Amino acid sequence: MKSLLAVVFVLGCASWLCSNAQAQEKPKVRVGSKSFTESVILGDLLYHLGNQAGADVEHLSELGGTQVLWKALVKGDIDAYVDYTGTIQELLSKLVEPGVEVRTEADMRAAMDKLDIVMTDRVGFNNTYALGMRDAVAEKLGITKISDLREHPELKFGISDEFMERNDCWRQLPAKYRLPHKDVRTMDHNLAYRGLEHNSIQVTDLYTTDAEIEFYKLRVLEDDKGFFPTYYSVILMRKDLAKRAPKVAEAYLKLENAIDSKAMTGMTAKVRLDRLLETNVAAEFLNEKMNLSIPYQGIGPMAEWKRFLGRFTKTTLEHLFLVAVSLTLAIATAIPLGILSARNEAFGQTILAVVGVIQTLPSMAILVFMIPLFGLGAYPAIAALFFYSLLPIVRNTYAGLTQIPKATIESADVLGLGRRARLRLVELPLALPSILSGVKTAAVINVGTATIGAFIGAGGYGAPILTGIRLSSIPLILQGAVPAALLALIVQYGFSIVERRFVSPGLQSRS
Amino acid sequence: MFSLNNVSKSFGNLQVLKPTTVEFRTGESTVLIGPSGCGKSTLLRILVGLIDADAGTILFDGTPLTTQNIQQQRQRMGYVIQDGGLFPHLTARQNVGLLASHLGWDQDKVKARVEELAELTRLPRVALDRYPSQISGGQRQRVGIMRALMLDPAVMLLDEPMGALDPLVRFDLQEDLRKIFRTLGKTSIMVTHDMGEAAFFGDRVMMLGEGEVVQEGRLEELIQNPTNDYVARFINAQRIPQS
Repeated sequence: MKSLLAVVFVLGCASWLCSNAQAQEKPKVRVGSKSFTESVILGDLLYHLGNQAGADVEHLSELGGTQVLWKALVKGDIDAYVDYTGTIQELLSKLVEPGVEVRTEADMRAAMDKLDIVMTDRVGFNNTYALGMRDAVAEKLGITKISDLREHPELKFGISDEFMERNDCWRQLPAKYRLPHKDVRTMDHNLAYRGLEHNSIQVTDLYTTDAEIEFYKLRVLEDDKGFFPTYYSVILMRKDLAKRAPKVAEAYLKLENAIDSKAMTGMTAKVRLDRLLETNVAAEFLNEKMNLSIPYQGIGPMAEWKRFLGRFTKTTLEHLFLVAVSLTLAIATAIPLGILSARNEAFGQTILAVVGVIQTLPSMAILVFMIPLFGLGAYPAIAALFFYSLLPIVRNTYAGLTQIPKATIESADVLGLGRRARLRLVELPLALPSILSGVKTAAVINVGTATIGAFIGAGGYGAPILTGIRLSSIPLILQGAVPAALLALIVQYGFSIVERRFVSPGLQSRS
Repeated sequence: MFSLNNVSKSFGNLQVLKPTTVEFRTGESTVLIGPSGCGKSTLLRILVGLIDADAGTILFDGTPLTTQNIQQQRQRMGYVIQDGGLFPHLTARQNVGLLASHLGWDQDKVKARVEELAELTRLPRVALDRYPSQISGGQRQRVGIMRALMLDPAVMLLDEPMGALDPLVRFDLQEDLRKIFRTLGKTSIMVTHDMGEAAFFGDRVMMLGEGEVVQEGRLEELIQNPTNDYVARFINAQRIPQS
């Protein structure tokens, strides 16, 4: 019996080693995409091509914008993603030495080369920015080109954040066209379509390959002054990918000049309007175009259900991991900081001011700032959540300690306890209700804020929310929002149990 | 027990204790008396090191008190304040045994000592496992006294210990407290503004006014030969109910 067990054990180890060795032979490749459907499809194209070329590819999808992807690419956290020449030009203009001009695609390629990044030839289509309105509204007002907007200062604009901030978009556009409009708000691209439908806005920014142009019957206004730069899609990949996984790099080059505008709009429409899975749309395109036989993900209720369960388990574990690690670190840091703050008034005011300022920083800014330090995934998200959790705990520790009556502190002193024993036996137990309520606040905020982890590939309940917003799918949004809300309630309830268990009854009956 | 030599204290411009040289003798119970703001509490708080004197020296059993040794020396002093100064998160028993447990006493020994003190202070057994918020003011004060007595201190310092109690409770506790001090032969120093209490407790009375000791001696001496008008006025200001 014993020897049989030994054999089984040895065989088990051997097979594990073999499978491990096999996995090691396969190069690991990571690709990324931004959080709009076209980018996700392009990311899935890279995913399939890489896997077909013998690599083990991971697709970090729906990351939070150009900065996140670019920083991750430079750091080596992803190997490749698809971006657009207009975006790249804007990006490089801030990176090259002053005096160097980045105008043509050849200029960009040269500048990228210096950064050890390969910029491929055009994938084919030009997805540039445009302004769009509902066809019926534009017809009634007689608007066909951007210049016509000048006659209608009452129109409301709802544009995306990125469009607002870019030099080649809103920063220059009103000056170029002398647009008088005052009511210009930033909003999510997908919400903007809804806004147009309900007439709460009349003008939005579009991408020329958006599937919704057809669906919502929008009119793309002619760029009659030739303002918008061209946005040809190109693949950006790290030079070392060609060394590490030459077949993958080679396969990616097959996408050069392979997708024209019509093909891209068609794929996007299949996802957005026909509700097909991006991965299947991408696989179908490659199978037809390149004679591959990439298997499709199952469809139908059973497959849906399986996907739902898989997603739920995965996002729950990811979310719990983010919250647990960041909160533990925050408690371990913030309570000592709170104690020091209570000990020393000047230090305390400084610390409280600093953690207060951190609280006001936008989460996206903190996340982008963290990428060069921690890369993509859970770590930068944990770092950001850690910073957000500090304030409530530091403040409540400080408040709990400083609110102890002076007579009580004197009683401890006069007893001859000494400072450390006084802290441990008297002050901390008395401040515990306040400290716990600070930790509870931090935990609840943390559960909610952890959804932003999805922007940098940390997963969690934010991932289905992000996908749901992108695909206008309420069920998907709920798959993230409902568990997040439930988790917040569970955390709240859990802390009330902790309170009952650890706070002295002498303090509970008093309040 | 305590020898003070030219001890003084000011808060800003206000001199709350003028340079004072006094002696508190071992085995004696001294009462510090005087109106609010006369410096009696300040004097007591200087003895336990809650307030640092600006000048002068204090000998405690022959040892000069310093900021370095005060924590050690405090374990030989029992200090009781109004309403007991109990820790609200600990039961009566835990309050009394806190320091002994911290100093590493055996738990059985702590328990035995706490129960012995409960007996001595006539604290009902059931009150031992209650929290301060769950017992009466008089009981809280008894627990405060137990806590002060726990390590069998050389001296008891009491700052208006009965201040927050109603007359009946106060009467009982005064009786018990005097009995305890007599039984144990404790040196004690008590701050009060109540003449009756001073008469009841004090072997010796020290009257303070405007930051200095105005007169000291047995209470009868103060009553019969007040050194000045101030002492006479303070004594006569106490109303004694006519039967």
